[in-house]
Amino acid sequence: MKTRMQRRMLALGTLGVTAIIALSGCGVSPDASGDVTPPATDEPVTISLGWWGSDPRAQATEAAVALFEEKYPNITVDTSYSDFSGYWDRLATQTAGGDAPDVSQMDMAYLSSYASRGTLADLGALDSILDTSGIPDSVLDSGLVDDTLYAAPIGAAANGVVINTTLLAQYGIEIPDTDTWTWDDFDDLALEVTEKSGGASHGVTPFQNDSFGLQVFARQHGEELWDAEGQITVPPELVAEHFQKELDWVESGAAASASQVSDNGGATISESDIVTGKTAMFFTAAGAFNGIQLAAPDNDYIIGNWPADSDTEPGFQYLKPTMYWSHSATSEHPSEAALLVDFLINDEGVAELFGTERGVPANPSLQEVIEPTLTPQGVQALAFSRLMNEEAGEAPAITPNGASSVAQILARYNDEVLFGQTTPEDAAEGFIDELQASIDAAG
Amino acid sequence: MSALGELRTITKRTGRESAVDKRARTRDSKVAAVFLAPWIVGLLGITVGPMLVSLYLSFTDYNLLQNPNFTGLDNIQRMLGDERLAASLRVTFTYVLVSVPLQLIVALAIAVLLDRGLRALPLYRSIFYLPSLLGSSVAVAVLWRLVFGGEGLLNSFLGLLGIQGPAWVSNPDTALSTLILLHVWTFGSPMVIFLAGLRQIPREFYEAASTDGASRRRQFTSITLPLLSPIIFFNLVLGIIGAFQSFTQAFIISGGSGGPADSTLFFSLYLYQEGFANFRMGYASALAWLLLLIIGAFTALNFWISKFWVFYND
Repeated sequence: MKTRMQRRMLALGTLGVTAIIALSGCGVSPDASGDVTPPATDEPVTISLGWWGSDPRAQATEAAVALFEEKYPNITVDTSYSDFSGYWDRLATQTAGGDAPDVSQMDMAYLSSYASRGTLADLGALDSILDTSGIPDSVLDSGLVDDTLYAAPIGAAANGVVINTTLLAQYGIEIPDTDTWTWDDFDDLALEVTEKSGGASHGVTPFQNDSFGLQVFARQHGEELWDAEGQITVPPELVAEHFQKELDWVESGAAASASQVSDNGGATISESDIVTGKTAMFFTAAGAFNGIQLAAPDNDYIIGNWPADSDTEPGFQYLKPTMYWSHSATSEHPSEAALLVDFLINDEGVAELFGTERGVPANPSLQEVIEPTLTPQGVQALAFSRLMNEEAGEAPAITPNGASSVAQILARYNDEVLFGQTTPEDAAEGFIDELQASIDAAG
Repeated sequence: MSALGELRTITKRTGRESAVDKRARTRDSKVAAVFLAPWIVGLLGITVGPMLVSLYLSFTDYNLLQNPNFTGLDNIQRMLGDERLAASLRVTFTYVLVSVPLQLIVALAIAVLLDRGLRALPLYRSIFYLPSLLGSSVAVAVLWRLVFGGEGLLNSFLGLLGIQGPAWVSNPDTALSTLILLHVWTFGSPMVIFLAGLRQIPREFYEAASTDGASRRRQFTSITLPLLSPIIFFNLVLGIIGAFQSFTQAFIISGGSGGPADSTLFFSLYLYQEGFANFRMGYASALAWLLLLIIGAFTALNFWISKFWVFYND
């Protein structure tokens, strides 16, 4: 028989729990306040800025923020940054708690996921403050989701082959002409590196989890990874060919053993095979070129175009935004945040500070501004970017909503193929099925 | 007998509680409530409340960024067809069923060795206990990855002996073994408890047994093990519960991915990926409750089996 006190406790407890559920069930709903943005005021305002990257980027960004605070003394910017993988977990939870930074660095893999769920602000509605006219349409279009601009591209880069010329010279191998080489030339060169170094170094680091590389590979055969509606359009045979190529490299010795490749996949830039001299060639977005050269000052690197055969489709290259600035939909100071984004993508002082750290600037006038201040690698990256701009075809659709984990899914199937757990054909089917299911399941 | 109990006894005898006693009882209860209040608020707010919200979310399609929509049993249906879930269950079960007994065996062995009345026992105990303090930390996991990596300490050492070791943490066949080794390395905590338990076994038993001519091995199996069995049981239950929830080591050593080809995809790591990386927090909540059910089942099984092998002195 419950005493009155026990009954009272039970009642209070149930009330407490119900209250907690009711309060926490509120969730976060994006601000539907329409197009009217309050103009920027002169009152002291604090906004927050978040990005991912290494130390050089952090220093450059802090300096850029200092410039901004000089120009707008009433605005204080709180900065925070982290490494790439931890950044996304944090951004997701911050957004869920309504606490996302006012301005965040954004990647194409996640743009659609965040924009389709209403967590990013429409930058087009802020065009009285935020001027995106300096960015060419071909690059700016990659910031559109459902025809609305949700993110401003910072820089753009093509996917190229980074080659360690010091390593090649060490073994007396001729530096290839990257404008005319074929896939056979590439395979032979990669094998030559392994043979002449007696296995101390290998020719190539396989593609692994790079969906950018997979997209370029698909485009070389006239296909694309996905379309604007979120359908995977690349045929399984092509993905299987992509896996097979890597498997051939590992088996012939052109690439290192499967476990070394896997080890390298999880390594930081300074530990990666291309930097430590274990591999001579590496397919990567040109935006990473700067970082690679900085991490290995004793080696010389060049960046060149992909090998192409006579039947390769022209225009397979395209300029993919390296990263964007996006603006939170729940920001309390949208005008000030828009001012910051406008400053970061248009100001010449900022461009000089960033250099090619975030990729070659998307704005051609800024490219001219930084040209005199570039390091030799920056000059190379800029030249490569201009060359690719001439050769580029139409940019493909951006990563669909639900495909944010494409790199992780690709990495997993890649590992399974290289360790002999599945055939390239089965892995290709599995990869496409899983990625499509992920896209379909996403809201 | 507690004060309240005595009061009740008095009440029973007279059949009627006096007004003074009733006021005293109410006052006692109010004081108790005030003292308990902070803890109850914490329990409801930080533990029970979120658990119930999580139970609700496990029947929704919550993606962290938008409001959750009720979807009924969709998440359970997804679980049944989820191959990665099956892989993660395989990995987690392998880890638990291998590393927990292994760790306890090592802990018991070292404890028995140390129980010989060594002079520097406190020193040895502290040294062996140290890894278990650090073992679940991020720093040690990073260190482990470096030691067992392709260019790590272990391979440098093997290289001195002329053996070319593989990249232990990057090979699907050996990655889980490095994690099991890490768990076994943190045997200090159960070891200290075993040491205390060994100390409690009366020496007379061993003396009587040796005068009867029992070998050391026989003494161990017939005296030490049965008398130690409640402690073994305790360590086993806690070890299993903890091992199922392992996250940090797998996250750091595999770089958050679940290892080469999902070979280190622990259950809580998979849950984390689904919830925070893949925007499927509703599904992740359902997975969390599945883990609770699994751990509950194992614990209940443990308790049931304990009837047959745990020997309580009373």
